[in-house]
Amino acid sequence: MIGFILRRVAGALPVLAIVSLITFSLMRLIPGDPAAAIAGLSATPQMIAQIRADLGLDEPFLTQMVSWYGNLFQGSLGRSILLGKGVVEVTFERLPVTLGLSAYALVLTLLIGLASGIIAAIRHNTVVDQIAMAFAMIGISVPSFFLGLVMIILFAVHLGWLPSGGYVTFQSDPWGWFRSMTMPAISLALLQAGLLARITRSTMLEVLRQDYIRTARAKGLPDWQIVFRHALANAMIPITTVVGIIVSLLISGSVVTEALFSIPGIGQLLTQAVLSRDYPMVQGGLLLVTVFLVIVNILVEVAYALLDPRVRYE
Amino acid sequence: MRKILLATFAAGAFAAAASAAPFQCPRTGGDLVFGQEANINSLDQMASNTISTRNIAMNMFESLMTRDENNNPIPELADSYEESADKLTYTFKLRQGVKFHNGKEMTSADVVASFDRYARVGLFRSMFDQVQGWSAPDASTFVIRMKSVQPTFIELLSSFSVPIVIIPAELKDDPPQRLRTIGTGPFQLVEFVPGSHVRMRRFDDYKPNTRFEQRTGFGGYKVACVDTVTVRVVTEASARVAGLETGELHAVEDIPTKAAAALKDNSDITILPLENWWIQIALPNTAIAPTNDLNFRKAVQAALGMEDIMDAATDGNYRLNVGFQYPNQASYSDAGKETYNINDEAVAKRYLAQSSYKGETIVILTNRDYPAMYNAALVMQQQLQAVGIKAELKVVDWPTSVQMSQKVNSTEFHFFHSGWGTQPALGALPTMQFFVSPGAQYRPRDDKDDPEVLALFQKMNTLPTEAERNAAFAQMQKLVLEKAYAFPFGSLTKIQASRSNVKGFVPFRIPRFANVWLEN
Repeated sequence: MIGFILRRVAGALPVLAIVSLITFSLMRLIPGDPAAAIAGLSATPQMIAQIRADLGLDEPFLTQMVSWYGNLFQGSLGRSILLGKGVVEVTFERLPVTLGLSAYALVLTLLIGLASGIIAAIRHNTVVDQIAMAFAMIGISVPSFFLGLVMIILFAVHLGWLPSGGYVTFQSDPWGWFRSMTMPAISLALLQAGLLARITRSTMLEVLRQDYIRTARAKGLPDWQIVFRHALANAMIPITTVVGIIVSLLISGSVVTEALFSIPGIGQLLTQAVLSRDYPMVQGGLLLVTVFLVIVNILVEVAYALLDPRVRYE
Repeated sequence: MRKILLATFAAGAFAAAASAAPFQCPRTGGDLVFGQEANINSLDQMASNTISTRNIAMNMFESLMTRDENNNPIPELADSYEESADKLTYTFKLRQGVKFHNGKEMTSADVVASFDRYARVGLFRSMFDQVQGWSAPDASTFVIRMKSVQPTFIELLSSFSVPIVIIPAELKDDPPQRLRTIGTGPFQLVEFVPGSHVRMRRFDDYKPNTRFEQRTGFGGYKVACVDTVTVRVVTEASARVAGLETGELHAVEDIPTKAAAALKDNSDITILPLENWWIQIALPNTAIAPTNDLNFRKAVQAALGMEDIMDAATDGNYRLNVGFQYPNQASYSDAGKETYNINDEAVAKRYLAQSSYKGETIVILTNRDYPAMYNAALVMQQQLQAVGIKAELKVVDWPTSVQMSQKVNSTEFHFFHSGWGTQPALGALPTMQFFVSPGAQYRPRDDKDDPEVLALFQKMNTLPTEAERNAAFAQMQKLVLEKAYAFPFGSLTKIQASRSNVKGFVPFRIPRFANVWLEN
């Protein structure tokens, strides 16, 4: 297993190199630079030219690239131009916020998606199945932005149950964190839950038709044991694959949700960095997020082996 | 030496004398939560020109001179100043007993250090072009020596665009964007979480400026009534409105017009229009054909109907405005008004026929980051098409459009849409600087100034009296409009709103949290 993990890590290095190269090049190819963001709306051209010179943005593409990779190999991702802080420091301030939100959304996704998928499969071709799949379809179809707005109007403005936005750290106020994250997590989770419900249903249906399930029924095993011990355990491989993808989607989907609910996560940070052309922040931040997603993918593959002893990596 | 008391300062002092007593907070305490539209990247007020920075930093930092409610220069940390007879030396006497947020008392050494840092990292350090140097002959005196006479120097020094905020001397080597937030203002920093919020608390050792009795503009007699102020970044307009309705936010900026209309009947909420937020404007690229042709530009000028453009841009929140200053300013002039809002197809077609236009595509450069600019460009496109000009939009994001518009001899666009906010508020001189190279905004060929425009700008900068400078401004505005070097559409009104228990919150170019209190 350790050998497998090391091979996957080694295999991920070219991915990281390609991501960093593409990010660096794209950021330099698109027009605009951070000077306009720093200088503001009423900037004079002289002011912008002065900022460009101060930041070294008037240096050639290759010089900037050599400088960035030189620093990278020395373990430095540079400093955000706009925030004036180290890229690593800022990323590790913001990433936990998004991970907390994504984890909460993932729990909701698993609860809603797995439960409705399993129930729909067990009650195949019944009203229950149709209702569950109708909700799944709604979850997939309704944009999270719209859902978030509707929830704000309903639960914050009219009912006053939850705050309309803002962020409270878990360490300072766990209940406050839970309240502030509930609507964003639901708006993020419903889309993925719909997806997971449909995949769980179809996978379960396939497994439930297998001979060994028929045998288990013939042996007189109770339904719950057939579903959870035999069917679900064998349906988990494809479901785990989807959950791995869902983690990536939750992190990327947080961009819109974070903006709507004023959550200072990595999505907002990188969006702002791209819009302001904060080159070091985009390059370094994306690289760190990519590292995280690579780790998630490796963990998913490790989970295969743990879930199914037939999977052997040695 | 001759003592100078600015007219407005005298007026302010007079107003103070006329009122019964200095401002006192009717109530104290509470946490005022303000919903801000834009992210805050940095609180380094010397190294950032963004509104989002100014919104917060100007409540914590102060400068020698600032602007009053009508944007006239007034002393802030200076107690008074004198201009030498030869107009080459300015001597500032500092207010005594002013403390920084770290408890240290401000002296002229701090002012020197602040000017030193600004000369190194300040975005508007070009204001020192005519400055020979500065010194501190004693702890309460600061002296600036000029290379040559610059009658507008105090105007520049009091600019709030990127002000020379006074910081403790030990902070002078702080790199750009990384200035520690220690000022002399009525509020001091508690925490700054980029992307989320900034929290400030009352600075208990704050010493109000007793030359005044009320807050005025960025200066005057300031008192922190609330215990803390939390500025929350709420980028989505609908979320700001929801936060205001629930009471989570006490005041917010930039409310959409439709939401403002819906909130009008809510007795818990007060709508606060902030007029003259910016001048909506389009600028031609005169480096290329056919926008290098005066007849073509005049055809465009004649085609434009400002009501339609401003209505689309602002959802009805605008005032028609001829030129480059706001009507409430002393320097305001309607010179050139005959060129404004003509909206006459026949006249436009006549000019077009006389021009070198051959049916080529005219590119209007705009962006979606500022919807007002996009909507104005859209209506302009339709109005140009109506007179036979094949106009199309090039829509990019704001940083891209700025970069494209600033390329010398660019062939990528014919008109660039923008909004001029701070510069017109600062006065005629900073605004008309936009028409002077390097980087004249009508993009002349090879960035070479139109000599007539440059001559008038130099007059604006060097004539000895304000009246003469204002007259030069009116002439320059008329010339620029007659040459169709700019197409100002009108003034946009920004809508702010507050909960009705928020008192003393008066819309200004930044939200001022001093002299604001919470009832109930």
